Amino acid sequence: MSEEIKTTALGRFGAAFAKFLAYFVMVLFSLMTLYPIFWLIMNSFKPTREFQVSQLGFPHVPTLKNYGGPYGAWKLGDFDKLIPNSVIYTLGATFGIIILSVLAGFAFAKIPRKATKLIYASFVIGLLLSVQSLLIPLFLEVNIMGIYNTRLAVLLVYIGAGLPMGIYLSTEYIRGIPTSLVESARIDGAKYFRIFRSIILPMTIPVATTLAILNITGIWNEFALINILVSKTELKSLPLGMYRFSGSLSSDWGKQFAALTIGTLPMLVFYFIFRKQITQGVAAGAVKG
Amino acid sequence: MARKKRIGREEGRAYWMMVLPALIVYMLVLAFPIVLSIVLSVSNYNGGKMFGGESWQITGFSKYAKLVGDPLFWNSLKNNLYIVLISVFGQLPLGFIFAYIIYRKTVKWPNFWQGVLYVPNIISVIVVAVLWSTIFSPKGPLGEAINSVRFDAFHVKIAALFSGQSGFSITDDLVRKILDIAGPKASAIFTDPPAELKDFLASYSPDQLQQLITDMTNMFVSKWSPTFLGIPDVAMLPILFVTLWMWTGLYMIIFLANMQKIDVQIIESARIDGANEGQVMRYIVLPALSGTLVNTAILCIAGSLSSFSLVWAMTGGGPNHVTEILAIYMFNNAFLGRPDFPLANAIALVMVTVSFILIGLTKAVENKFGGKGE
Repeated sequence: MSEEIKTTALGRFGAAFAKFLAYFVMVLFSLMTLYPIFWLIMNSFKPTREFQVSQLGFPHVPTLKNYGGPYGAWKLGDFDKLIPNSVIYTLGATFGIIILSVLAGFAFAKIPRKATKLIYASFVIGLLLSVQSLLIPLFLEVNIMGIYNTRLAVLLVYIGAGLPMGIYLSTEYIRGIPTSLVESARIDGAKYFRIFRSIILPMTIPVATTLAILNITGIWNEFALINILVSKTELKSLPLGMYRFSGSLSSDWGKQFAALTIGTLPMLVFYFIFRKQITQGVAAGAVKG
Repeated sequence: MARKKRIGREEGRAYWMMVLPALIVYMLVLAFPIVLSIVLSVSNYNGGKMFGGESWQITGFSKYAKLVGDPLFWNSLKNNLYIVLISVFGQLPLGFIFAYIIYRKTVKWPNFWQGVLYVPNIISVIVVAVLWSTIFSPKGPLGEAINSVRFDAFHVKIAALFSGQSGFSITDDLVRKILDIAGPKASAIFTDPPAELKDFLASYSPDQLQQLITDMTNMFVSKWSPTFLGIPDVAMLPILFVTLWMWTGLYMIIFLANMQKIDVQIIESARIDGANEGQVMRYIVLPALSGTLVNTAILCIAGSLSSFSLVWAMTGGGPNHVTEILAIYMFNNAFLGRPDFPLANAIALVMVTVSFILIGLTKAVENKFGGKGE
């Protein structure tokens, strides 16, 4: 598009130099991003004794010992419990966020009520609030309610934390759907729940997808909140399980790397498949006025 | 009339049935904890059953006074502000540059770069923290990389003394040259360097020259052991670096998505009229993104002030509290040793308040300087 301008020798040189610089920056930062992850995965196939003498080289004889066996990371880290838990929390909370948000979003956008202004504003303020700063009061509250160390507590907190964004995005989205659709259905005598189910819900698939993308990655990796909500191994999620490998097991590098690799791979695969949707979802989630 | 009333009632019932589930959960998770922390921060509640257990009462603002007088609080706040600064003035500009390079098609394969630079965002912060604290530890690859460079350089120097020789003879001149190269390291190893080095050389036969050179290099080269996270003065630096590493890709994605909304024709016609890249950026792209910049700054500030996991898993706030941030300071007061829940709640409120103040400041800056491009 800028071919016309590159007529002078200086202009051509400048453009070539800019191009070189741009590639240099991109390659440098891409290497800085990928190499540590590659290094982590590579070293998970090295026995700890080999790692202690050579941290940079390829494994002489790649081994799966760090992963499997009675003393492997899989067993030590209880990954057979962590992974199902993470799946339950992630899918459960994501589903809850989407349903509650779309329902409330429809009411805010299409059912005229005086209360909407205040309630909706209170959700939008929540966008600026990070639930993480409320770790301690949340911990106390969960204890008062008697749901410490339950899946319910985790799901409740995750859903609550995701609601401001969920409600904001779905309300704005449903506002964009022509009100005449709702009005004509009302004139035909349809109830609001029916309108929601048969007209609105199918139309909110794009915003539901965005919410799913935003929350799946966020909840799968969440650590600070669940850290104060559960302490039983049977209820722990992947990040909690992996955190153990930074403490008591941190000098057995081989196993530590194996554990981190196990915890990272599912999301890497997810990202690899849904990269386009993830990037679009993230961009949509950040657009707020 | 009756029909209208019935419809109105159905409308109200539907409205509340749709809004209440979300509202109740939201109240439980955000509104109630805030109220709880306001009450507890001015009380003497010390754990135990809140209702029906030991009695506790409102005792006033003494915890806030304690907070202000605690150097650890100010240190945590300072560290949080470092994280805010690296986020706003590091992540955002860098993310903007990446986005701009990709947007202006200066490089090929836009999806590839975008995809790669976003990867840190989809990895658990725990993995990132453990990974990088290993890299910055003495057992990490940095030490090995630097030391192998040093080893090679030293090896060349020692080998130069024997250049062209297949064997060696022990002379005073040789011993002196070796000691010159070894420097202070020699006197750290030997009590009487020249004599002992001679003995050492004598223990090798002349045909073992290569072995001798390697062994001497190993002995005399000074090894570097990276212990960034253990040294109080610099322990924050790796944390700031990893913060930058982790989140820059997120802002790149956000900026890029907003740049792609700009009408391409505006830029093309500006270029045809003779505007250079710098002018395009200054007069077209930046103004169009001013709103996005403010929003991302707000996102950054809110996230930075409440961040917990990265530092928790990298250093746990150590060594000796130097890398402590507000969330960890709060966590420690609530769970370490004798729990001080009122103080912890006071800290929670300070975190919320500070982030609202900073967000307010950002908005004020926008109102003052912002060319509202949207």
